[in-house]
Amino acid sequence: MNNSKRLLIQVLGVLCLLMVVNGCHGGKTTPPPPPPKATAPTATLSANPTQIEQGQSAQLQWSTTDATDVALDGNKVDPSGSQTVSPTQTTTYHLTAKGAGGTQEATAQITVAAKPTPTPTPAPTPPPVTDEQLFNQNIADVFFDYDKADLRPDGAAMLARAAQLIKQKGWRVQIEGNADERGSTEYNLALGERRADAAKQALLSAGVSADSLKTISYGKEKPQCTESNEECWQKNRRAHFTLLK
Amino acid sequence: MLRKTGLLFLFLLLLLPLTQAIAQDWIRTGTNRGAPIRLAVPDFKPSGSDPQNAPLLSVFNDTLWSDLDNAGIFDMVAKSFYPAAQPGQPSEMKLDAWGNAPVNAAMVAFGNLGVNAGKVDVQGWLFDAKNASFPQVLGKQYREDATPDKARLIAHRFADEIIFRLGGGIPGIAESQIYFVSLRSGTKEIWSMDYDGANQKQITKLGSVALSPRISPDGSRLAFSGLTHDSWQILMYSMDLGRTVAFPRYSGDNFSPAWSSDGTKIAFSSSMHSGLSEIFVADASGANARRLSTGKGDVSPVFNPKTNGQIAWVSGRTGLPQIYVMDADGSNVQKMTDQGYAVSPAWSPNGLLLAFSWVRNYGPGVLGGQDIYLMDIASRQIVQLTHDGGRNDFPSWSPDGRHIVFQSNRSGTEQIWSVLADGTHLQQLTRQGRNSQPNWSFK
Amino acid sequence: MAYVRANMFYEREQWKKPLLVSVGFHGALVLAILVLGYVLAPHGTSNWGATGEGSAIHADVVASIPLPHTEESPNIVANESKGVTQTVPQPKPVETEDGISIPGKVTKPKTIDKPQTQERVQPRPTPTPEQTAVAYGEGGPVSGPYGNFNTTSTKGGFSIQNADFGAQFGWYVQNVNRVVSNAWYQVEVDPRVTNAKRVYLLFDIDRNGRPSNVRFEQRSDIPSLDQSAMRALQRIDTFGPLPPGYRGDKVSVEFWFDYHR
Repeated sequence: MNNSKRLLIQVLGVLCLLMVVNGCHGGKTTPPPPPPKATAPTATLSANPTQIEQGQSAQLQWSTTDATDVALDGNKVDPSGSQTVSPTQTTTYHLTAKGAGGTQEATAQITVAAKPTPTPTPAPTPPPVTDEQLFNQNIADVFFDYDKADLRPDGAAMLARAAQLIKQKGWRVQIEGNADERGSTEYNLALGERRADAAKQALLSAGVSADSLKTISYGKEKPQCTESNEECWQKNRRAHFTLLK
Repeated sequence: MLRKTGLLFLFLLLLLPLTQAIAQDWIRTGTNRGAPIRLAVPDFKPSGSDPQNAPLLSVFNDTLWSDLDNAGIFDMVAKSFYPAAQPGQPSEMKLDAWGNAPVNAAMVAFGNLGVNAGKVDVQGWLFDAKNASFPQVLGKQYREDATPDKARLIAHRFADEIIFRLGGGIPGIAESQIYFVSLRSGTKEIWSMDYDGANQKQITKLGSVALSPRISPDGSRLAFSGLTHDSWQILMYSMDLGRTVAFPRYSGDNFSPAWSSDGTKIAFSSSMHSGLSEIFVADASGANARRLSTGKGDVSPVFNPKTNGQIAWVSGRTGLPQIYVMDADGSNVQKMTDQGYAVSPAWSPNGLLLAFSWVRNYGPGVLGGQDIYLMDIASRQIVQLTHDGGRNDFPSWSPDGRHIVFQSNRSGTEQIWSVLADGTHLQQLTRQGRNSQPNWSFK
Repeated sequence: MAYVRANMFYEREQWKKPLLVSVGFHGALVLAILVLGYVLAPHGTSNWGATGEGSAIHADVVASIPLPHTEESPNIVANESKGVTQTVPQPKPVETEDGISIPGKVTKPKTIDKPQTQERVQPRPTPTPEQTAVAYGEGGPVSGPYGNFNTTSTKGGFSIQNADFGAQFGWYVQNVNRVVSNAWYQVEVDPRVTNAKRVYLLFDIDRNGRPSNVRFEQRSDIPSLDQSAMRALQRIDTFGPLPPGYRGDKVSVEFWFDYHR
């Protein structure tokens, strides 16, 4: 937005300048009375910088030769000098040098970029997927065999892919290790710890940094289901991943 | 030829029970198995006619009987054998009626109870039924407020006196406490109860998950594992102040605390160092935690209460969990079990036996029972304590070394049960909700 | 003659085959027994635990636990550990306070403990409920059920130096009995031992019930037996405090036993 506005202003400025230059040209086209063989004065005017933002200042510098009357926009100035100006909008400064041999003019334009006014834009459309949804879609539970904490091949593959997404998004992930209801409470906490750690190691070796990973074990304290059959037990022998804020 | 073979056969037959007997020979649980003391305990007589006597007497008599019956050293003579005349004073005691058939008691405990001006007075005696000239072994007097709870307390105290005198100087456990985990309030919290299941009350109100209660040797502080907002931590509850007190927070997950019997050290399992659970020991304040074990998945440490020079714990370093023992500085690691799934070691107060929970035949699809076993540490002999199938876990020894409390699902839900260390006197202590992980107090 | 010889020759031939068959069959039988023994023996699941919930009546199938049966000693009169046979343990006539030497041994000085009762002649306590009762006046100071020590392979007794102690605090002696038998692992004894010389072990029990000064008065010459007895005493932390009615600082106990497998 800013860029196009700026461009517009610049175009307008240039057009302005052209018009001004034309006008100046117009002024310039009136042929001065032929001087009695006196040297025509020269004048140069420059601005530094040529483009400023509203509120900023720039410096005008000029120099003239063979001139007795030098005026900058109507104000008498020295034949050579500089001045700091803070135009609030794009301005063209005129230096007029009058001498025995004639009059010479010089201009310099300072473009002032207006501060971008917040235009009332329509409300931004929500991003198609939230981070959480993206997380859950891509980082599913990994499951383990009976009393084991080794990743299965499918789990390892999923984690390798997930690692890329985690790195890209800069997410912080909590890895929760769980166990089925059959083992002893305390040992299952340690087993859950090993499972969470196995998932963590897989992510670390895929390049995720250690401080974006946190492990915790829930043992058999937070089961997904409570039936006493292999299907439910397998569901509980898992490492689960959650996105940390 | 035939004769020699016959003798050989006989000899071999005799060997068979010997091997089983040898295992039992090594497990001494102080329960006088085979030679218990025959004890008669007639109901105490009311002294005076206060109407409050009757209900208090009822509580007192029931409690006294059950304390002595459960002590593990007596053979209680059934009340149906007792002579009609109820003795309330030594002058009323006729020893030959008690020492001879049909009672045949070796010892008689009797006395009287009476309420007077809001106080209950109890007098109790223990008589040697075989010694007519010097019958009195002890005589005691008690006075408390006249409430059922105090009547129960007096009964506990009197029973403990008798057990102390006749049980080789080992104090009775009637006033000991059991701490356990209960889900009945909606979340897993730590509760306490008397050793016989009475007076169950909630202690912690964590509102999350509280596990593995371990009371300190002096009974003033209760250590447990609590799930805080981001990790498991060892939390310390002050029984005196009625709230949790400061204990260091360590990184990772920290659980399964255990006290040394002198109250100076706490061992626990922590993943602070490697992300995997290892055994650490810290001061009782939680400071100066040092790592002792280097296994994968080490939990449930427990000190040898006799010497505090050794720690037993569970490690999954070779696959399925097994029981290990090491010196308290981490050296001299020995593997105690080598098959099945062995967890929850508990060291007997005399330092000679390890109780643990074992699934001897373990594997997916194998419906092996999980039972409590006892191991004599010196000889490595093992005997099985529970037999009735189901899952039995978390044994904990009583301070007299004669009883074991454990969790079992034999009744359908997880409950706390107690049993004598020789396998007799199995009793259900909890009935409400789901209850697990019992811990017997040190005294 | 030839006929007879032929007969004998025939008989001898006859032996070989059936003999081999017989030997083979017996060998197989023995093998089967050994295998059976091996298969059945190591399973430790035995009669240890309760096989039902605590009911009023429970039968504990005890294999062979060598615990003492103090009350149920059947033949008290014939039992050598009873004070009835005065020759074996030194009888302590209640009248004197001096120690009585054990027959055939060097007299040992006995600790004299203060007596606490004036009565000298006391009726002997009647023993266990069986019909075998020790007659009045007979028996040593800890006769009756108190001082008797019995296991499957051991019979013995306790003697307390102070005659009156046993009479007045028989229950304490019984207690000592129980604690010692519970601490004694006779499995430690060499299984080849069948008979041993009588062993006399002395120790003191202090006010708090702690044993001390454990020493052999007479050994059995079988090291494993002596050692197992000594270890039993060493295993014991306390017998329980001495009875409050007893005024002495300690009691000295003599524990003797005969080991017969």
